[in-house]
Amino acid sequence: MILDIINIWFIVKLLFLFALAIYLIFASVVVRQVYLMTETVKVGFEFPVRIIAWVYLFGAISVFLIALFTL
Amino acid sequence: MPEVYTSNKDKNIKQELTPSGEVRHHLPGHTHNPLGAYCFRPDNVTFETQDQGEKIVLFLRQHPIVNLPWIALTILLFFAPAILINFPLLSFLPANFQFIAHLIWYLLVAAYAVESALAWFFNVYIVTDERVVDVDFINLLHREITEAKIDNIQDTHHAVGGVLRTIFNFGDVIIQTAGTAQNIEFEAVPNPASVSRVVQELRLEEEQEKIEGRVR
Repeated sequence: MILDIINIWFIVKLLFLFALAIYLIFASVVVRQVYLMTETVKVGFEFPVRIIAWVYLFGAISVFLIALFTL
Repeated sequence: MPEVYTSNKDKNIKQELTPSGEVRHHLPGHTHNPLGAYCFRPDNVTFETQDQGEKIVLFLRQHPIVNLPWIALTILLFFAPAILINFPLLSFLPANFQFIAHLIWYLLVAAYAVESALAWFFNVYIVTDERVVDVDFINLLHREITEAKIDNIQDTHHAVGGVLRTIFNFGDVIIQTAGTAQNIEFEAVPNPASVSRVVQELRLEEEQEKIEGRVR
């Protein structure tokens, strides 16, 4: 039974999800760093930059969820 | 004691560097573009360690042309899967794994583009009437802020070399500071001669203030 579940594609799926989880951490760091930098220097363009960072994070979350349900 | 003599030259420098009100909106180099690479006396710029009453004279970034290589590479990487469609590198994977592999590829391209764009946007150089500040956004995990007081500056010089730099008039401004303080380098900034001149004038003004005992 266990051998049926643990086949090569299951391991590949876990590797894909692990890589995407690492990427999620990276995307979170981007959001955090953007907030820190927009506090350090304010040039009147903080809102669009923060939106870009959030869109980037939500993109990473979406791909993680798609991978979780399609693989 | 009445003031016997005041230098007109000194007054002109001060007026030019710290104009007030509407005057500065008509000065060359003044812009309201938040993505601008050269702004003389910006209106909406502030930074974390700015003192009360400290005025920003110059706000600089690298010339926008330096973004060209990473933008070109991003476009190339974005279309790479379509270009390589005749070379099925992932054909050994089932269809759903191929789909996710493509998404991961686009995420990596996005990571490269976002980091390059943020590095350009947040890598700024600020010259105030009291100091110069170099904010280096080296990568997402490492940033560095270097600053030097105007009266610690010993010399400034600029260098413009190469075809693109000559055509678009951008280059490096090197600010040498006294003692063991780290030299500050403004890399690939537009109008390096003008930046160097402004820093020199601020330094002269600071020296004049010191002589006259008007140091803050």
